Amino acid sequence: MADMRGPGALLVAVLLVGGCAAADPPLAVTTTPSTSTTSSSTTAGATAAPAPSPTVRTVAVTVTGKRVSPAPAVVRVRADETLRLVVTSDHDDDLHAHGFDVQKALVAGEPLILDLRGAAPGQYEVETHDPPLRLLVVQVR
Amino acid sequence: MIVGRIDGLANAVIAHGVGSRQDLPLPFAVAVTGAGAALVVSFAALALLWPAPRLTGATAGRPVPARVAAGLDSRTTRVVLRVLGGIVTAYVLAALVLGKDDADNPVPFVVYVLLWVGLVPLSVLFGPLWRRVNPVRSLHLGLMRVARLDPREGVLALPAAIGYWPAAAGLLAFTWLELVAPDNATLPVLRLAIALYVGTSLVGALTFGSRWFDRGDAFEVWSALFGRFSVLGRRADGRLVVRSPLAGLDALPAAPGLVATVAVMLGTTAYDGASNSPRWFTLVQSSSSPVLLKTLGLVAVVAVVALLFTAATTLAGRIGGAAPASMPGAFAHSLVPIALGYVVAHYWSLLVLEGQNALIHLSDPLGTGADVLGLGDRAPDTTLLQPALVATVQVAAIVVGHVLGVVLAHDRAVRLFDRRRAVVGQLPLLALMVLYTCGGLFLLFSA
Repeated sequence: MADMRGPGALLVAVLLVGGCAAADPPLAVTTTPSTSTTSSSTTAGATAAPAPSPTVRTVAVTVTGKRVSPAPAVVRVRADETLRLVVTSDHDDDLHAHGFDVQKALVAGEPLILDLRGAAPGQYEVETHDPPLRLLVVQVR
Repeated sequence: MIVGRIDGLANAVIAHGVGSRQDLPLPFAVAVTGAGAALVVSFAALALLWPAPRLTGATAGRPVPARVAAGLDSRTTRVVLRVLGGIVTAYVLAALVLGKDDADNPVPFVVYVLLWVGLVPLSVLFGPLWRRVNPVRSLHLGLMRVARLDPREGVLALPAAIGYWPAAAGLLAFTWLELVAPDNATLPVLRLAIALYVGTSLVGALTFGSRWFDRGDAFEVWSALFGRFSVLGRRADGRLVVRSPLAGLDALPAAPGLVATVAVMLGTTAYDGASNSPRWFTLVQSSSSPVLLKTLGLVAVVAVVALLFTAATTLAGRIGGAAPASMPGAFAHSLVPIALGYVVAHYWSLLVLEGQNALIHLSDPLGTGADVLGLGDRAPDTTLLQPALVATVQVAAIVVGHVLGVVLAHDRAVRLFDRRRAVVGQLPLLALMVLYTCGGLFLLFSA
């Protein structure tokens, strides 16, 4: 029995170490934590951006056909942080951010800016509907 | 995730999939603590648990007072439950047939949350409840009464070799609908699925008699297997007794298809967790046939669970000196607590959040602005969704499920195996259980 403890523990260690590596992929999306709140007003067609928040993270995603670039990843934000999504698609579509209850029409070639903020802790998908694509997962802590 | 179709029109309707919120990943320290606890308990069980079998399964239990037993088994109780089941079904069918196909229709919530997940805690508490309310069983009963036939009789005798196989297939089909099928929260898809289910159930029951429901109906089997945890059980002599969950599970007889059923219960929940990883859904959504790929993934996880279990128990039988071919069935009951742990860990927050949404949407079943239940203006309470609480529930469920599984397997091993080899004989299954448990924690941690 004692000699089985080693392999068993090893198995768990391997699983957990593997899990640790898998859970922290290098964040593929280009996040630029912008502290400035003044630059945000330049973009036309932005959602009626509410009162400036302490921190804004910007993530840009491009959809080409069924390809999402950069590849979907988990974006971590704090509950008091605003996530600014800039989504550009090569076709007309709907953009839907679960949990934030936002759905907007995407027009081909035109960047759509979405400020996401105020969801309860959890993980939420941002997706398009035609074709159904998950663009990223927003993890709110 | 369960997704609804969106009309491409520029309207303000937001489509809420059922279950669009997922839990935060399990903190690393919590996952490690859980895995460590599972490991320690496993080997402590080998060293410390009883050397001779203790569980007496179908003969265990203390009879409940005669008056209580008579009340629970009375015709009145049976009729009341059937009528209640019928009323709720009619209410939901009205929303299915006449309701609006939008995000506020209650039917997807009822099917995927209240029925599928909600049945689990109810069964754990009260036993195989669904057989008492199953509206298809009631329909069959009614038809046979009208025709003045015995509902237990069919055209053919149900071959013993069929066992749980129809239920295994039905559970796999349902989880495919839940996790793979496109537009699975829309009314046309749900109408088709429900019609297919009612149709096959009725044909099965008319062909083989009401016994079909006992082992062929996916939801009755789902409820009956988790119902083994109930402290209220029925002894071999037919009496209602109070017994431990261990006794209830120990009393589960081996039958054809039982291993497959349990593997579906465990494997599909595992797939649900794994399929939310960005790597998997990126692969799926960029492929030319996402549905096929997801189907293959779902079936593959179930197959791996079943094959590993069959291999481990067969090996255990070889080591322990018991007939290897009968071992998977003999130990299948020990996987049920692990499956329950997975279900609680994965669906706790879904049941809490979307279960409340289900009731809120049920208040306006036809989308006419009605407020039948007086819940229309309520928002879900999130007290039970705090991340620390959810993480605790998840780890506790997985670890407790593991411990119960280990104890059940230990008792079965010392009953079946040669005395001197009983400890060594348990090692393959113990290793597999540790793997399932750490795998479950890993899925929650990396989610």
